[in-house]
Amino acid sequence: MIQITDEILNKYLDGELNREEVEQVKSALHNSEDFQKKFNVLKIVHDNLSIVKEDELSPGFTDKLMKQILKRSTVPKQQKYFIASVVTFITLLCLVIFGLSISAMISATSSSIGDSNSVFDSVSGLSGGLVKALQHLFSGAGLSIIGSIFSLIVLISGYFFFEMQKRSKANLGNGQHL
Amino acid sequence: MRNLSDQEIIDSVRKGNDSDYSIIVNRYKNKAFSMLKRMLKNEFESEEVLQDCFLKAYKSLVNFKGESKFSTWFYRIVYNTALTRLSSQKRKTESEMTSVEDHFNLESEYGADEIEKKDMKEFIHDLISKLPERYTAIITMFYLNEMSIEEISEVMGITVTNVKVMLHRSRNSLRDLILKTKLAEELL
Repeated sequence: MIQITDEILNKYLDGELNREEVEQVKSALHNSEDFQKKFNVLKIVHDNLSIVKEDELSPGFTDKLMKQILKRSTVPKQQKYFIASVVTFITLLCLVIFGLSISAMISATSSSIGDSNSVFDSVSGLSGGLVKALQHLFSGAGLSIIGSIFSLIVLISGYFFFEMQKRSKANLGNGQHL
Repeated sequence: MRNLSDQEIIDSVRKGNDSDYSIIVNRYKNKAFSMLKRMLKNEFESEEVLQDCFLKAYKSLVNFKGESKFSTWFYRIVYNTALTRLSSQKRKTESEMTSVEDHFNLESEYGADEIEKKDMKEFIHDLISKLPERYTAIITMFYLNEMSIEEISEVMGITVTNVKVMLHRSRNSLRDLILKTKLAEELL
């Protein structure tokens, strides 16, 4: 015979007892007014808890939250586009400089290539011309110009990047309070 | 339009359809809010914490592997965020200060006159938020969110046995309080 405790009554209520135990509890409830009272109130508690209604949030909650989420996902995209455009610009500039070097080298060595007979002479002429052109480009006034252009690009990029970071932080900060 | 499952919505959000996350928000917001409101006992704060929970869940969707149900995963975020908030406010965080073996006294929360003025349903619903936070969370998850004992144990990070003990203890304490009032006499 099982002892009727609060735990057993709860298990009986939740249907966690086996058939034999259920019969014993039923019998105990039938024979004891005290157990019956305890169980009935427990069932009332259970039934009333089962009909608890959910609380309603303010109507604009979802819209405000979604605005914040969409704003958050837009900021990194903008940053990506900005970085991509800066990288592209620098790459194009490098290509232009390289192209100019090549053209300068070709024009400087075209006469000597025409005179030489062997492939070896042609290659050595071309490489010598390239070195000369690069030396010309990266020495004296040429180096100063290139350095200035790069510094200017870095400064402008840095400024815009800083501004973008500041703006995105401000956006996130505003979004904290719906 | 058929009712999309949580997993289908999550997959869509992961593919870049951020606006689909609103379906998840609408699906869980009121239930999670009900739990938070009873745990934190402050409506405004609960709304703020809930917003934080949805943002956390959104950012962590990449880490959601689908090993448990989305609801279980999300309620774990809600429950832990609520506990963190309670602890940061230096309120008495029952989860940290007491064990499952500790007792609580609901009787001290109400005066006899106050009890007799209420009807049973209102009285019991009021009492849920008078329980310690972890007990409130269990009652809300079990009855309102219709979660299984196993899911609740996963959310709270405690054993199934402990969840049952706490659920039974909550019901018993509510019952004992009712038995001491005239409300019980009227009902029986």
